Amino acid sequence: MTLELHATPAEVMRAVEALQGFAQAQGVPEKTIFGLALALEECGSNVVDHALQRDAQQKFQVSIGSSDGSFVIELRDRGPEFDPTSAAERQPEAHDDDLPGGWGIQLVRRYVDEVRYQREPGENVLRLTKRLDIPAADK
Amino acid sequence: MPLDIQLQKGAGQNASAVIVKLNGSLDTATAPDLEKQLAPVLAGPSKDIVFDLAQLNFISSAGLRVFSISRKALKERGGQASFMNMQPQIEAVFAIMKSLPGVAIFESVAEMDSYLAARQRAIIEGQP
Repeated sequence: MTLELHATPAEVMRAVEALQGFAQAQGVPEKTIFGLALALEECGSNVVDHALQRDAQQKFQVSIGSSDGSFVIELRDRGPEFDPTSAAERQPEAHDDDLPGGWGIQLVRRYVDEVRYQREPGENVLRLTKRLDIPAADK
Repeated sequence: MPLDIQLQKGAGQNASAVIVKLNGSLDTATAPDLEKQLAPVLAGPSKDIVFDLAQLNFISSAGLRVFSISRKALKERGGQASFMNMQPQIEAVFAIMKSLPGVAIFESVAEMDSYLAARQRAIIEGQP
């Protein structure tokens, strides 16, 4: 499934709802769906807020699919080069009261197995992969 | 995925607290609404906010940021943001983020009441 979305928070959530519906239809466990939804929300927000600067005229693409026991989410935008995976790894500290931008990607890393960024000609491409360990009978 | 926000004043000995009940999804689209609704509370005299998350089924870093802002504002005036009735998936996100160090998480309203009562006593007795 591929969605064309405008660069707004509401459109990010439209993609999240589409993912939830798709994953439920595939029999993906609710706990896994929560993590996939969170990963897409964080990465979609990054595209909207950073790569496309919340310019609602801009569009980005979200593709959702599953094959060979893995669930794959791919985000594509034509904004300037923006690699969310380059956000430095850091641990929250006791005195932190603000949430720096890098925290979202840390959440993403906890809920999916692979986060891969590629700059293709004119496009940012971010691919999230989650292995689905669903017993065959439950698929 | 909408978010329903209900603000209630604490009653009786908990009168200084504001209870914020969240129902739905606290995400990139809805977090600005919560931030807007909390602004007058954070600008007012209330020292404590208790977020009741029993009906909150989704949260992202956009939502956690609002909690963090609230916590910071209340802390500056000697108050506290606390959280009760978290669903397991929300609690897991909090655990990962460790974003709110020292935060009080209440299992039930009764527990919250006893915390706030203890807090009131401390204030009356002039303790920090």
